[in-house]
Amino acid sequence: MNMHSRSRKALGIAVASALALTLAGCAREGGGGGASGGGASPGITDTAVKLGISTPLSGATAGPGTCTVAGVTAYFGAKNAEGGVAFGDGKTRTVEIEALDDGYDPQRAKANYDSLKGDVFAMTAGLGTPTNRAWRDAAIADEVPQVLVMTGDPLFSDTEESPWQLGFVPIYQNEGEAFGKLLASSGGAHKVAILSQNDDYGAGYVEGFKSAVEGAGNVQIVGELTYEATDTSVDAQITQLAASGADVIFNAMSVTPLTVSALQKAQQLNWLPRWFLPSNTSSPGAVVEPGGGAAFPAIYSVSFAKAPASPAFAEDEDVRTYLAALKEHGNYPDAPAFPHCQWSWMVGATLEQAFAKMTAPTREDFMRALRSIENFEAPLMLPGTAVSTTEAGQPAVPTVVVQKYNGKGYDTVEAFE
Amino acid sequence: MATFIQLVVDGLSTGSIYAAIALALVLVHQATGLINFAQGGMAVLAAYSAWWLTARGVPLVLAILASIVLSFLLGAAVERWLMRRFERGDPDTAVVVTIGLLTLITGICGWLFTYNNQQFPSLFSLDAVSFLGVSVSQRSIGTTLVIVVVMFLLQGLFAGTKLGLALRAVAINPQSAAFSGLPVERLLMVGWGLAAVLGAIAGAMVAPQLTLTPGMLDNALVYALAAVILGGLSSPVGVVVAAWIIGVLENLAAVYIPLIGYDLKVAVPFILIFVVLVIRPQGLFGRKTVVRV
Amino acid sequence: MASVPSPRQRSWVRWAGPLLLVVVLAVLPLVFPESVNEIIARIGVFAVAVLGLNLVMGYTGQVSLGQIFFLGLGAYVTAYGVSNDWNIVVVFVLACTIPAVVGLLVALAAARLGGLAIAMVTVALPIVGVPLAKRLSDYTGGSQGLSARFGDAPEGTGLYDDQWRLYLVLAIGGAVFLLTRNLVRGKYGRVFAIVKKNENVASSVGISPYRYKVLAFTLASLIGGVSGFLYMLVIQYTSPETMSFGHSIQLLAAMVIGGAGSILGSILGGAYYVLVPQLTNLVDPSLTALLQGATLLVVLFVLPGGLASLARPLGRGRRSSHDRRGPTPPITPSATTGSGTAAETPETERQGHP
Repeated sequence: MNMHSRSRKALGIAVASALALTLAGCAREGGGGGASGGGASPGITDTAVKLGISTPLSGATAGPGTCTVAGVTAYFGAKNAEGGVAFGDGKTRTVEIEALDDGYDPQRAKANYDSLKGDVFAMTAGLGTPTNRAWRDAAIADEVPQVLVMTGDPLFSDTEESPWQLGFVPIYQNEGEAFGKLLASSGGAHKVAILSQNDDYGAGYVEGFKSAVEGAGNVQIVGELTYEATDTSVDAQITQLAASGADVIFNAMSVTPLTVSALQKAQQLNWLPRWFLPSNTSSPGAVVEPGGGAAFPAIYSVSFAKAPASPAFAEDEDVRTYLAALKEHGNYPDAPAFPHCQWSWMVGATLEQAFAKMTAPTREDFMRALRSIENFEAPLMLPGTAVSTTEAGQPAVPTVVVQKYNGKGYDTVEAFE
Repeated sequence: MATFIQLVVDGLSTGSIYAAIALALVLVHQATGLINFAQGGMAVLAAYSAWWLTARGVPLVLAILASIVLSFLLGAAVERWLMRRFERGDPDTAVVVTIGLLTLITGICGWLFTYNNQQFPSLFSLDAVSFLGVSVSQRSIGTTLVIVVVMFLLQGLFAGTKLGLALRAVAINPQSAAFSGLPVERLLMVGWGLAAVLGAIAGAMVAPQLTLTPGMLDNALVYALAAVILGGLSSPVGVVVAAWIIGVLENLAAVYIPLIGYDLKVAVPFILIFVVLVIRPQGLFGRKTVVRV
Repeated sequence: MASVPSPRQRSWVRWAGPLLLVVVLAVLPLVFPESVNEIIARIGVFAVAVLGLNLVMGYTGQVSLGQIFFLGLGAYVTAYGVSNDWNIVVVFVLACTIPAVVGLLVALAAARLGGLAIAMVTVALPIVGVPLAKRLSDYTGGSQGLSARFGDAPEGTGLYDDQWRLYLVLAIGGAVFLLTRNLVRGKYGRVFAIVKKNENVASSVGISPYRYKVLAFTLASLIGGVSGFLYMLVIQYTSPETMSFGHSIQLLAAMVIGGAGSILGSILGGAYYVLVPQLTNLVDPSLTALLQGATLLVVLFVLPGGLASLARPLGRGRRSSHDRRGPTPPITPSATTGSGTAAETPETERQGHP
């Protein structure tokens, strides 16, 4: 009996290897991924184009991650319902989106990319610096577009280093710089405390801020601390910074709960500085209101997107279309809790612009078209900001405006008060 | 000096968050000999159920009480229908089952309530109380007081009640506990149920501070584990004191030891554990256990 | 068990199986599409990582929650070496030895403490490792991480890059598996099993549990370093996120699901670690956590001994027929929990590696 099972196994292996050898004789198609010469690139036909997203849909960053998928899915969902998107080559295509969860794990992001690259025309909208960096080299080698991704890492906007990439959101340095300029031009003397996230996000903000206030005699940095995104509390940092006597806090945080508790802690200590919050943690409903922001003399932020929760935009045509589509096509029934939902919607609009400029259904031509958009005011964009992809070293949205909290939403300001 | 005292007080508040979860870990460990990685997840689920009720107009206190009852049932059910299969087997497998349970519960919370941040109302006001130049919120004081009360109840349960002794007997040796007529299976269910109750209380206390998300307690869990080991696995008082020590020392180390700083302060509890265990292998307050050959 | 002497005329049969396996593994990368090769390569990476964890935990009984740290360390060493254009063999040797030395130092301190204390010290490795990697940003690239592309197919081989990389993974991973298999089958394996079962018994028969715990932990760190090298070969990027505590926990889960104290289980664990996130993405990307948790619970509920226990009934049947022919082996070490070394047979393992 033993002999039987052994010989059967050996036979099985022999058959399998014979089969394998036969298959090996067949030619293998598409080794390198892209570079398919004259014909259409993968992921695009005469009637449809497919986009891929790898983003965190579980874990600590799943909230904003879900938004990065919802916005662009809603945008093209609405377009598909109208019949599709008109491409520059004269064809109208529907846009399909395949989004995969990477849990903010670079390894899983790379795995998602590997499994999508053969099927999709381009990768887009994914959130996270390490998760986008993980497959950046591979995307360049395979000549797969990795565009309008949600990271302010300048590497993705460096055309030399990253020929197949383009960041969407302003690089972190730009955001910090915008507020720094405002402060430096205020005329009054200011002591600034800095609390930033200990990573490229926080460091980028601080770098931009410092470069803007460098040489400004009226701005003095009196304290500079960091925190980890995994911390449960920043009470000690706020306590230490409160003792510095600063009248302005530059708070480069990306973790919503910690931002709320930082605002609360400062109030308990009766330290009421003017507060700067970055674009992704300044939501009126999710951050400032629960944090009791009204107690502070002023809260500033930078932005390029209309906040749908703001009463000023309640009747805005863009906002109403957007919220309706998010519900109907984006699988996102709640009010958007993170600005990433709006950003992702703009990614959809920007892609549509690029599609309209494409003359051939190839990835090369798509990159050329994408890099030729000038001063496109995408839906939901604030006046004074626009999508411009022609400037080297800058992401698709190179500019932000500084805004001030007005008790319910934000108003754009020109001067520090 | 005022800053120093304020940092100590801040550390105690943060320590109370670690302590809240640590107490539930101790109870399960006392009752089953296991470290339950899903303890925080179960607490989050309880907090979500309370939050869901308050969003539908149920008064906060009633909602928390309901979540406590629900948690007891959930804890008992988890023991009966899931953990029981693994209790006699390899302990590593049982621990991994709790890891799976944590992933599952986190996923369920994300599915039912989204991964967005939800504001959980607090039983206590956020207004600050000031004394000697130190400010502390009524919420922190309230949270700490609740945890101290729970700690003493738990200490009393283990030391002075039949149930507590029976729970411990089961954990130490299920076979001999069964021989001496203890209803082992029911006791294990009660142990898990009670631990889930502690988790529900902890969840309701810390959710206003941490903001309710499916992964709300993931980061606190590591600190809670450290507090459990440092305090000695058998002593509720020891574990709470250890959590406070960790909270205070990590703040002080971050501010006053430049080599550590805010980025490496997370190393503090582990350095502490290492030093303490070299001197006292049973933890700060733990009992010595005799190892049988 | 491998030491059971076989009749001479059967020796060609004994070699035929492994030989065929090697042939099959050599051919398959040529046949499979690129995406499958990449998946197999990733499975190889994490199978090696799980194998290291198995050595210290499954075979020697010391709870380690920090294995991912050694993978991360090995990956960082590799990335640093490659981006500084060091010879790749030197890089490989360093990616093995540096984690091994760090592991040795940690073990020298931690193994003095009891079981749970070792667990806590190993928890500290990824928890402290992440901010430490950020602080040493001159070497690690900080939170932006390090990219390093190497292992492209040499000109003249006519192979695609993914095929060449898969061969490297199979060769290096296969060698590690073979060496580890021989280790746990031999004298050291028996001592590890005794230490796992009862340290006091080990002491009473003149074995120092301390020394063997340190040895197991050091070897596990070394294997972790190898998996880090392979990680860089396949993923080509590492960052502090690579060694986050959550991944360490998932690695532990993969080890138990594959089968603790089992060579085949390590491969199955690596496959689980890689495939389940991809499969859950296919089902519903917004429910991955829920599906992964449910999968883990279902698998363990059905197979508390892990996936490798599926292969055991077959193996046992074969072993007993062996025993009837040849002399019974002198000792059967700790076949108690169903996760011991004794439950393994050569046949079940040969299916997995060369």
